[in-house]
Amino acid sequence: MSSVTEIAAPPREPRHDVPRAKTPRPWRQLIGPVLLIVPMLASLLAVSLYPVLRTIWTAFTNTSLETQGSNFTGLANVRRLQHDSLFWQAWRQTLEFTAVTTLAETLLGLIIALALYKTFRGRGLVRAAVLVPWAIPTVVTARMFSWLFDQGGLVNYLLVTLHLVSSPVNFLGSTTLALPTLMVADIWKTTPFMALLLLAGLQTIPPGLGEAARIDGASSWDYFWRVRLPLLMPTLLVAALLRALDAFRVFDLPYVVTGGGPASSTQTMSTYAYNILFSGLEIGYGSMIATAMFVTEVLIAGVFGIFIVRRIRQEG
Amino acid sequence: MSASLGSPLSRRQLLKGAGAVLAAGAAAPAIAACASGGASAGGSGGKTTITFASAKFFAKETIGQIVDEYNSSQKLVNVQYQQLPTPSQSTEVHQQLVQSLSQRDGSIDVFTGDIIWISEFAGAGWSAPLDSYFGQSVKAEYFPGVIDAVTYDGAMHALPWYLDAGMLYYRKDLLDAANIAVPSSWSELVTAAQKLTGTHKVTDGFNWQAKQEEVLVCDLVEFIGSNGGSILAPDGKTVTIAEPNAVAAVQFMYDTFTADKITPKAVLSWDEVPSELPFLGGQAGFLRNWSFVWNDAQTASSSSVVGKVGVTGLPAFPGGKSAACLGGYQFGLNASSTKKSAAIDFLTWMSSPATQLKWATQLGLAPSRPAVYNDSELAQVNPFMVKLQDIFTGGTPRPKTPKYSQISLAIQAGVSAALSTGQIQSNLESTKAQIEQIIG
Repeated sequence: MSSVTEIAAPPREPRHDVPRAKTPRPWRQLIGPVLLIVPMLASLLAVSLYPVLRTIWTAFTNTSLETQGSNFTGLANVRRLQHDSLFWQAWRQTLEFTAVTTLAETLLGLIIALALYKTFRGRGLVRAAVLVPWAIPTVVTARMFSWLFDQGGLVNYLLVTLHLVSSPVNFLGSTTLALPTLMVADIWKTTPFMALLLLAGLQTIPPGLGEAARIDGASSWDYFWRVRLPLLMPTLLVAALLRALDAFRVFDLPYVVTGGGPASSTQTMSTYAYNILFSGLEIGYGSMIATAMFVTEVLIAGVFGIFIVRRIRQEG
Repeated sequence: MSASLGSPLSRRQLLKGAGAVLAAGAAAPAIAACASGGASAGGSGGKTTITFASAKFFAKETIGQIVDEYNSSQKLVNVQYQQLPTPSQSTEVHQQLVQSLSQRDGSIDVFTGDIIWISEFAGAGWSAPLDSYFGQSVKAEYFPGVIDAVTYDGAMHALPWYLDAGMLYYRKDLLDAANIAVPSSWSELVTAAQKLTGTHKVTDGFNWQAKQEEVLVCDLVEFIGSNGGSILAPDGKTVTIAEPNAVAAVQFMYDTFTADKITPKAVLSWDEVPSELPFLGGQAGFLRNWSFVWNDAQTASSSSVVGKVGVTGLPAFPGGKSAACLGGYQFGLNASSTKKSAAIDFLTWMSSPATQLKWATQLGLAPSRPAVYNDSELAQVNPFMVKLQDIFTGGTPRPKTPKYSQISLAIQAGVSAALSTGQIQSNLESTKAQIEQIIG
């Protein structure tokens, strides 16, 4: 929670550059501080850098639990990846899933956050209740959604009863509808999380600005577009970045609800990597897929990073 | 990654340490046993200690209790039971077994594994061939289908334990009322199902499973098998999934929810339970599923068809024979075990008719020996299980190849694509090409 508000808080005051010490320190004086940093640095390297490097290294080997072999195979796994149509299908679908859910969750989250910002009776209760979908474990959500959207499920029952469709819609068994249905499940589940992040961002905007805008004759529409949204932008971008990186790793939903089908139409990077790594026990090629995921995530983070940095510069 | 690769070593050391302590602890009673005139094994005068790794099963009794019964039934062998996760987490059970067996250190002597792993373990040289211990006369005591399933490259690599298989559940009451005979061919099933849905007795005619996961391979084996076809030829190399009889069978699978309209289109997202629920709710005429459905259907709290259900073997195509995809766990012997004779004694006991009866009555695991089905105790405790004898007679293994897990994934994706698009021939051709590439 605390980290959320830290991220969400925009820099309110211009930074003052700390004057640098002009006199060069003798190396002896550095020993103390360096020693203090070392444990932190070492643990960071051990838990984040080492596994990444190790995975990238493994990606260029034919490591397999079955053959017990582990030889460097150069670009063999890269070539296999290039021609792996299932991988590229999963890659496209995962990006689609990430784009749609992140966009929808940010927009819906913003609307909910604006509503929750207003003072009304029972606001505390509503704010807490909004979080319920997010607090449910995804595996449970997934089970729930597979019942809801089954041909005999509640959604089809309502659609048929209200005469919106004549026969039950095949949500999960159709190649065109299965992925959108999973998107709906994800949006339902994660929008509250976005709403909370954005609400925290809204609360850092000084209320005085609203009064000033009203006195100047700005409509609430103008106030939103010209004051609140620009000030909320850094928070919004960081929240969307977190969400996009998280959505990109989606696993539980397709794994439980559709098993990646029908016709692999809901296969995501994570479910595909899981199949290769844990069912096929091909650690080498599986690591190549994990590496491809890593590269894609770095690219996503990079695009967001450019926007965020530009935004912060504009303000600074 | 590094942690998971590093752990087996430490675990092995730990096991060795534990084994030494246990051996020391076991020495005292063993000496007493010798004094009372018991024969000695292993030369040291104590009991030979072997390790038995198995997935977790439990009902009225647990595996641990049955192992204890063996331990107290004789004085030569002491079995340590190492518990693996439950079969529902089969990916993890598989992973743990592979990690242990691939070390080739004999840290486990006897294990149980899913029927689909037998070729993999045999091909890797991890499981010992058992033909020198169990001859033709012993093999003849089991269902031929399971002996086929445990045989890899001409040698028996596992001793049968318990079985499950695909079977046809039907609404006895509705068939009787409409004067329809229980179908024995797929075309009879289509006619019967259409009659039931046409008169609005049920909404679903025939439910099966086509979700993109392992169960799709099982259903596929049954449809293709009942048309005289297969996925892989017996040589384990020639891919036969795109042969005319296989294509015709998959075309029939597609027709059930298109031309024939006896199955809801949602079948493409169904595994076992979603296909079972309409049947339990009285909305389906026929259902292909495993043996667990019987108990569910007889449970009044979850089923509205108590006493109205019959079960039989799956239908066949003209000229074909009913095929039932075999499941179940079987016993394997680690090729690196240094205590094979003690392990064989234990295996023989575990798979004996008397113990199989115990598995059936105490844990609900269906025997792999036909003779056990004639036991009056089984008929008394579990009358339903007796009916399974006919179904297991048509037991058909899934493709036997060391690369089964990868091939299974390719089949799931390819057949799911064939059923989703209706382009049967082309999708099966590309699946065939993929399987050929995996087999190499």
